[in-house]
Amino acid sequence: MRLRLRAWRPSRAQFAVFLWYCLASAVYVAIGLAVTDFLYSFWVGVAYLLVAAWIVPAVFRRLT
Amino acid sequence: MSWAAHDLEPYAIQKHLKLKVAFVPLLIGSYAPDMMTKWFVYGIHLGPWDLKASDPAQFHRGWPGFGFTHSFIYGIAIGLILWKGFGSKLWGVSFMIGEFAHALTDTGDTVGTMLLFPWTFHFHLGAWAYAGQAGRTTDAAAYFSGLGCMWDLVWIVYGLYAWRVITRGFFDNVIYKADGFWPWANRWVPRDALLVVYRAAFFYGTSRWIAWTIWAHVIHHYPYDLSWGGPHWVQAAHP
Repeated sequence: MRLRLRAWRPSRAQFAVFLWYCLASAVYVAIGLAVTDFLYSFWVGVAYLLVAAWIVPAVFRRLT
Repeated sequence: MSWAAHDLEPYAIQKHLKLKVAFVPLLIGSYAPDMMTKWFVYGIHLGPWDLKASDPAQFHRGWPGFGFTHSFIYGIAIGLILWKGFGSKLWGVSFMIGEFAHALTDTGDTVGTMLLFPWTFHFHLGAWAYAGQAGRTTDAAAYFSGLGCMWDLVWIVYGLYAWRVITRGFFDNVIYKADGFWPWANRWVPRDALLVVYRAAFFYGTSRWIAWTIWAHVIHHYPYDLSWGGPHWVQAAHP
């Protein structure tokens, strides 16, 4: 049982990525609650995620 | 009608079928039945004009109407066009599976789908109320108060349990290898960005589910009604 759980568990790096997406999701939800139109479009979601999960981390990596 | 299941089901299908299906046509297939119709179901304003179906449920799921988009034959027809017309069996089969998943999922509401069109019988479980005719926000409130949102939650929980399906490793070893679309796109778009695009539907479905749940129950206090066919505070459409 413990072995199976260990195999299922994400690595630290994978968990960090997951937390970043959770943060991005929290911001997306907050914007969506303020402006519900934001939630309707799949393409707005894709654009938002590209900014939040690709461009922002890339800029952050370059700055540090 | 489902608000997040169509975003999430393709990941579960891909997890099980791996290299046998391609993700992009699978997702397009999962969205396809609603692509041309949803805007007219809820209605839009175009300058001085209000465009909306006079009978949204009939237009969306019925015949006469666009209900044939929620049938097996529609998935097979578009799949065959992709296969025989554009030469990609992988895209044809993947589209078909995605479209089938959509048509089957939508049998859960009170209107259901004409799965075996041209036979116009509506297969419907009636588990949650179809309220598209009430407008987008009332539909959201109703959907996120009934069993429909619980069905979405099943897919979210399953996706989180099978979390490796959205990892870089799975993307590199399965998604990218299965379909020539990704190497083609990679000529212009960096792989990191493609990975984000691959994850987008999961992110969109899950985040939207959370947002609409908060909107319906924390901000607006619509009552939950998880009884069969609910919520009963909204007038459900029937075939």
